[in-house]
Amino acid sequence: MAETFLDSSELVLNMGPQHPSTHGVLRVVLRLDGEKVMGTECIIGYLHRGVEKIAENRTYQMFAPYVDRMDYVAAVSNGLGYCLAVEKLLNVEAPPRAQTVRVALTELNRIASHLIWLGTHALDIGAITPLFYTMREREEILNIFEKYCGARLTTHAFRIGGLQYELYDGFEQDVSAFCDMFPARIDEYEELLSGNRIWVDRLTNIGVLNAAQCKQYGVTGPLLRAAGVRWDLRKAQPYSGYENYDFEIPIRENGDTYDRYIVRMQEMRQSVRILRQAIKRIEPGPIMAKVPKVIKPPVGEAYVSIEAPKGELGYYIVSDGSTQPYRVRVRPPSFVNLQALEPMAKGALVADIVAIIGTIDIVLGEVDR
Amino acid sequence: MRKFLKRLLFLDLIEGLVVTFRSQHPKHIYTEQYPAQSPKVAERYRGAPRLNINPENGETLCIACNLCALACPEALIVVGSERNEQTRRKELTTFTYDTSRCMFCGLCEDACPVDALELTQDFELATYTREGQIWDRQMLEEGPRPKQYKF
Amino acid sequence: MADEQTPDAKPKPAAPAHAAPKAPPTMAAVPWDGELPGRLKERFGEQINTAASYLGQNFLVVKPEAVFDLIEYLKLEAGFDYLVDITAVDYPKRELRFDLVYILYSFERNERVRVKTEIPDGYRPRSVVDIHLTANWLEREVFDMFGISFDGHPDLRRILMPEDWTGYPLRKDYSIIQMDNRWVQENLGIESGQ
Repeated sequence: MAETFLDSSELVLNMGPQHPSTHGVLRVVLRLDGEKVMGTECIIGYLHRGVEKIAENRTYQMFAPYVDRMDYVAAVSNGLGYCLAVEKLLNVEAPPRAQTVRVALTELNRIASHLIWLGTHALDIGAITPLFYTMREREEILNIFEKYCGARLTTHAFRIGGLQYELYDGFEQDVSAFCDMFPARIDEYEELLSGNRIWVDRLTNIGVLNAAQCKQYGVTGPLLRAAGVRWDLRKAQPYSGYENYDFEIPIRENGDTYDRYIVRMQEMRQSVRILRQAIKRIEPGPIMAKVPKVIKPPVGEAYVSIEAPKGELGYYIVSDGSTQPYRVRVRPPSFVNLQALEPMAKGALVADIVAIIGTIDIVLGEVDR
Repeated sequence: MRKFLKRLLFLDLIEGLVVTFRSQHPKHIYTEQYPAQSPKVAERYRGAPRLNINPENGETLCIACNLCALACPEALIVVGSERNEQTRRKELTTFTYDTSRCMFCGLCEDACPVDALELTQDFELATYTREGQIWDRQMLEEGPRPKQYKF
Repeated sequence: MADEQTPDAKPKPAAPAHAAPKAPPTMAAVPWDGELPGRLKERFGEQINTAASYLGQNFLVVKPEAVFDLIEYLKLEAGFDYLVDITAVDYPKRELRFDLVYILYSFERNERVRVKTEIPDGYRPRSVVDIHLTANWLEREVFDMFGISFDGHPDLRRILMPEDWTGYPLRKDYSIIQMDNRWVQENLGIESGQ
């Protein structure tokens, strides 16, 4: 009797794939000692659609809509990365007007992605209200996308070589109205959360990942910046004319969940700053570079990566000179960042797992592809 | 001391509640009452496909060039055509469009040289059967007729 | 576009999607000169086949035995401390069937380098998990998709596909409509996924 009573063996707890706070179909198997997490194992692949295989069976233009379906809350960033990669292979560059519009839309998308993250992350922690507010602001962004390209989520906004759609009348006004409205809304979120004792207590010193660990695990994006590494591909290896914009890379020192929250909030403010500069710079001109109707890049390969809202999003494309890519490899930030769940969760409590999964900001469409 | 007092009096929580109550006013309502109130989608919205007809003589604008079928990533468009012996032109006979596999990327309407195929602002595409998702030429020309619900 | 392979309902014979040209053109790469490739060539000598650059992106083609040492050297001596990605490319017609590609980045130098190696089917390259922890899942994915097993990997299982799936989906001889019918019938209770 006494033996079973004092039995201290580990308990295996299955979380997901339908758990609401795993943000999709992520299954995490937890090894527990009481309430303490001794180890985690992620089981992924429930949303695997074989995007890389599909790419090998489509022409370059045809594959573009599929990339939107990987990270579906940041579809514009995905499309930008793919277009830049194919443009690199073709050795063409989008005209300046197209580049500026691309920057504007990508930054809007970054804000939209961070808003989704903030809303769902706060919801996981127990603060329901921010979700409604963030969705309200995101709606404004999606309306701009809808007016620009006709779709809200899986936008397919960019084409290889530039843009398909000319700006609609009033795009600048819409964006600047959003820029005027949005900083006050960020203040509102921070009023709700930053000083709130539950929020602060649930997040500080949870899921700490220092800079050395980040590099070991290949973690990028806000997680790396919260650990004190001032690294952002928009600055480090600028693309699409980002070198001409004046903005800062927010960093924090501790690398815990609270710092990542602060970093992302600051990033949204910086995005607004870039947006304001971008809409002033939209100059008249062509929106499409000279790209042949049938895209046949010369034999070769290229790796192009961009700073997606979640980290480094890379495309490695091998061309064999035909109309279809020979191989497209997507380097998904969510997939690589999710691997860091293990060191972050070790020693945490069960309730913190929810906070840690939320703070990595994964989208399972991108983890599984 | 001030921090302690602030904590004791739940000031941080009250601050948050103030924000919540500020948004309570009816003029801040953002929710759309769909389906009672149909939202107005943007002009460029990519929704239900339509095959345009010439309003003057009621003939189809489609020249059966098959470019949309070739551009479609999902290969869901099938164009049937027949050569008219008198005019020596291809004429459209059938046109099927499988909306169940469509991802509304807009590549088909980009490819269309005569603006015959168009993605319209209709977005109510639900049907009772899978077969109902496959639209034939008549359906594409006339457009879907969703049931109107009265509230 | 005429040879477009479509995921149609009707099963087709697994036609190769790419009609190979008679004399395959090669990548117009230029030699990569500089301090780092010079150092590497001095250190590794014959094991580095080429150090080249294409579209301004540097890459090394090395012998498979040298990959582990090279990546370790690059990390410790040259500052390439971030393993961006591991992937493979399948060339079924080649004797050395797979290209194994490691993409590395250095925070200090702000520079990328690709390390490529050609391996035959069945070759077991040494896992680089001991150098970069991130290689764990990346190598699992390569194993899952191409069937390249890594020697010394702590936990080499399928990661995206179901664990008892047969076949390696990203190999070129695996058609896009192909699937493991036994698995589908046993686990999903349907005749076929098509």
